[in-house]
Formats: sequence, structure tokens, C-alpha cells
Amino acid sequence: MRRWTPRTHLAGLVALAVAACARGERVPVRGGVAVTDDAGRQVTLAAPARRIVSLLPSFTEILFATGAGDRLVGRTTWCDYPLEALAVPSVGDGMPPSVEAVAARRPDLVVLYRSGPNVTAAEQLERLGIRTVLLDLNLLEELGPATRRLGTLTGHSRAADSLARVLDSLASQPPVSSTRSVAFIVWDNPAIVIGAGSYLDRLAALAGARNVFHDVGSPSAQVSIETIAARDPDFLAVLSDSAGPPAYASRPEWRVVRAVRERRFLFLPGQLFGRPGPRAAEAIRELRQRLEAAAR
Amino acid sequence: MKFVPLAAAALATLAAALLLGPANVPLGDLTASPIIWQLRLPRALLAFLVGGALGVSGVGLQALVRNPLADPFLLGLSGGAGLGAVVAIALHLPGPWALPLAAFVGAVGAMALVYRLGLIGGAELDPRILLLGGVAVGAFAAAITTALVSLAEATELRNAFLWLWGGFSGASWTTVLVMLVYAPLPLVVLVAAARPLDLLALGEEPAQYLGADVRRLKQLVYLSASLLTAAAVAVAGVIGFVGLIVPHMCRLVWGRLHHTLFPTAFLTGGIFLAAADTVARTVVAPRELPVGIVTALLGVPLFAFLLRRWTVS
Repeated sequence: MRRWTPRTHLAGLVALAVAACARGERVPVRGGVAVTDDAGRQVTLAAPARRIVSLLPSFTEILFATGAGDRLVGRTTWCDYPLEALAVPSVGDGMPPSVEAVAARRPDLVVLYRSGPNVTAAEQLERLGIRTVLLDLNLLEELGPATRRLGTLTGHSRAADSLARVLDSLASQPPVSSTRSVAFIVWDNPAIVIGAGSYLDRLAALAGARNVFHDVGSPSAQVSIETIAARDPDFLAVLSDSAGPPAYASRPEWRVVRAVRERRFLFLPGQLFGRPGPRAAEAIRELRQRLEAAAR
Repeated sequence: MKFVPLAAAALATLAAALLLGPANVPLGDLTASPIIWQLRLPRALLAFLVGGALGVSGVGLQALVRNPLADPFLLGLSGGAGLGAVVAIALHLPGPWALPLAAFVGAVGAMALVYRLGLIGGAELDPRILLLGGVAVGAFAAAITTALVSLAEATELRNAFLWLWGGFSGASWTTVLVMLVYAPLPLVVLVAAARPLDLLALGEEPAQYLGADVRRLKQLVYLSASLLTAAAVAVAGVIGFVGLIVPHMCRLVWGRLHHTLFPTAFLTGGIFLAAADTVARTVVAPRELPVGIVTALLGVPLFAFLLRRWTVS
């Protein structure tokens, strides 16, 4: 955070100037749009947003999927799907966002994931007179509501509603009865796994695989290799774009885990599985196919 | 004689570390279970060896700089190790040993730099210059580390920090072997320096008059203690607190003579860290706590108790 300080001061000065000019202009305009975001703020625009900066790959995907991709004027370096997104200028990695780089794109709406540093960044942008919307996006069931609100703000309500309906129905599906079990290994030393209260846990349930760490209440947790061995998952899911076995697979302490010994790895590309997105149904289908292929 | 109860406690701790764990291993399978042989036994032994090494290293460094706050990681070693680990990740160095090896190289690099700075004050290594040099080198390494972290891709580096904060998740027979091969030489050097270190406690000049080669003693103790700590970093990351508290505990209980202090600090450090790791593995199962949290939570009250009891009497 420290490296932002000079910029913050500069932003503050500019904000004072802008605020002085813009005061008293908040008259609701015909054709305006409004939503309540997940920070509990009322976000009103005089007209659907025309210049949008998206600071999360998931939002970028949703905007393209609802036909608002051509309104994007800024994205993060992580926003790599769909391919058209790569043509949009990047404003950095977004963690935390560079307020100056975002403001330089002259957006009329900035879409941020609700997190501590992002709330601060949103306040700074608002002081510059740039409207922001803060949305939660950790879980499958948060995709629908986020999509609907983005649809309203971009004036693509119809497309957004139909996508949101698909996502909502996916989120309300009961878990498929599962014969196979899986553990998501995010990191190996210390071993970190995905628990319940996460997007991947839900995807696995809908694809017919039981997450052996479903009893862990937090999205991710440090566990010992011994616990993984004792839970004895049929498969280890690895978020990786390459299909080679992970480096720890050859280490003796990991070979106590049956799935490591039997080389039962599921390689899940980060672009599809690493984030909640409008392609959730595709991700579930893909995971189910991989499970079936691996079980053969 | 004073070692018998300690040795018994060490065996009991190791036995508990073998018997307790998140997985349920029936007593009958104890000798055959890979969970015992491949996971719990190497992990318990590694925790014991690292705890012992840190305890001994702490005794040596506290005697050397004659400062009760001296900790094996104070003299720039944790900063150097952190920098090494982060560089290994940022450069995508391949192989399972890249990270620990880089941390070791970083720690040794920092050690060499602090040592060189210490020589500025003369070959007898002025403790004040060593301490200041250690803090300065540590801060410099930490600054470069932070710069790398803020400029490079974030997720992998966050995980590097998890590793660096210390723990025995990656324990295997290989890591035990590394400690077993590596630790004896610096340990022997330190134990052999026990008598001159007692003299050093009287002050540098008296020690010199009483026949200690102070200059050589300080160089040997500094290098041995630091190399021991660097090895601990390579296999288990930076585990704070053990090297600071264990020497004090041993001094409070068994007195200040180094020929008792070194063995008791080895055993106490080993018991303490093996027990802390057992708690870390089991107390919030199926999850696991970082062991550094447990060492502080267990160690501070124990230390306060000892301090009160021994300073009152």
C-alpha cells in the first residue's frame, strides 16, 4: 500500500477540484439506471455505461457474455478470456488497482470485486468523479446477481437476465450423487486445500465428485499431508495449465497419498476453473468428463 | 545425571508425536503404516533436530554478542533466506530443492555480509557492530524482497511466504538426512567451545588473560551458529522464538556453564519444537496451524512462569 501514497495525495487534490465543479449535479435523468451494489451503495448512472473498466477476469467474461464487451476500455492483466478481451488496454494487475491508470482510461463505470483495498480504490475513484460498483464474486450463487446488476448498468438487461437465469438454476441444483472423491491441492508446502464455502467445492459437487475437505468451513485451509492421506481422495485436482504431474508428485512424503502413487491427477486449466464465471456450466461438464475419462 | 530426565522427556515427546495425528492409525499397524514411517517419524525427527539446532545456535550467539535479545535469526539470516526463496520463485527455478537451496544460499550470503561488516570493527568481531550489521543487512534484504514481491506475480509469492514462515509440512527422510549430515560439524565446534565461552562471559579481556583465543573463538562460534541456523531455514523455513527462548530457559534451570547449556539447549529445543509441531498438527484437525504460532503460544507463558519462579527465589 505504501507505494500508492504519493498518487493518493495527487488523486486527493484532483478530487477536490472535481468535487468543487460537480457539486449539486445529481439530478436523476430520464433513461438513467440504478442498482445497489454489495457494499450497500446506490450506484446511479445518467445513462447506461459506455466506457467500462473491469478489474476482475470474471466481470470481463460476464460483460463479453452479455454483449457489453465493446463497452470495455480497460481490463486487468489477468483478463485473458474471451480472446477479444486481449484487445482491450490493460490497466495493470489490479491488486490493488492503480487508480491513476484506471482514471486515465476516462471510464464512466469501474467494476470492482469487493475487497478491502478495492473499497479504498473505489472511494478514490468516486472522489475523481468516476462511478464505481463493488460486487461480491466468490461463489456460484453470486454469479447470477452480479450478472443482473452489470446488465442493468450496461443497458444489456435482456441478455444479462437470460444468462443470470441459467447461472441461478445451476446454483440451485442439488448436488449430484457422487461415487468419486477429490481434493483440490492449491499449494504443496505447506499443503493448502479448497474447503466448503468455495466455488470449486460447489463445482465438484455438481460434477459428481465429493470434495473430501467439504467439512472445512473456509474457502481454503492449510492441512497436513497425513490428513490428505487419511481422507484418501480418488483424485487430486490441480489448477494448472500444463498437464505434467506437479513437482511434489515425485517427493517421497507425498507418495503416502494413494492418488499421488496412482498418478490420479485432474489438471484443471485456471482460465476455466480458477475463477467463478459465466462458463460455470461448461466447467462442470468439463470436470465431469475428466472424472469419467480418468476413472476408465 | 541432569540429562536423564531430559532424555526421557525427549523420547516421550517423540513417542507422542508418532502416536498422535489427524489420521487414525490402529496400534497394531504402527510398525507397518506408511503414515508413521513416511510422514510422522521423519516429521517428528526433523522438528526435534531443527529445534535442537536452533536452541544450540541461540546459546552460541547469545554468548557471543552477550546480548539477551540475540536470536539466531537476528543477524540478517531470515532476511537473506527470504530473499533467496523469493528469487527462486520469481526466476521459476525448477526442482523440489530449488526453494530450500536458494533460501540456504540467501542465508549464507547474508551471514557472509554481516561477518564482513563485523570485521570492520577489527578481527575480534565487535558484538555491537555484528548486531547492527545484522539488522542492516536483514532490512536491506527485506527491502529487495518486498520490491520483488510487489513487482512480480502475486499468488506464487504469497505461497513462498507461507513456506518461509516455517513449518514441517515438507518433512521427509531426505530433509532429516540433510540435517543429520550437516548439523554434527557445527554442533561439535560449538560444544568444543564451551569452556572458552564460559570465560568470554567474564568479558573479553579477562577471557584473553585466562588463555582463550577470543578472536578465533568468536569467529568459529559465529560461523557455526549461523551455518546451523541456515540449515534449519533450508529444511523448515524461519521458525522464530525457539532460538531466543530455549537458551534462556536452560540458563534459568541448569545454570550458565556452557558444557551443560549446549546439551540441555539441544534437548529442550528439540522437545519444545517436536511438541509444538504435534500440537500444530492435531489441535485444529483436519486443519493445521503454522508451527510458529504454537511455539509462541506455548513458549511465552512457560517462559514467564520460569522467569517469575527463578527471579523470585
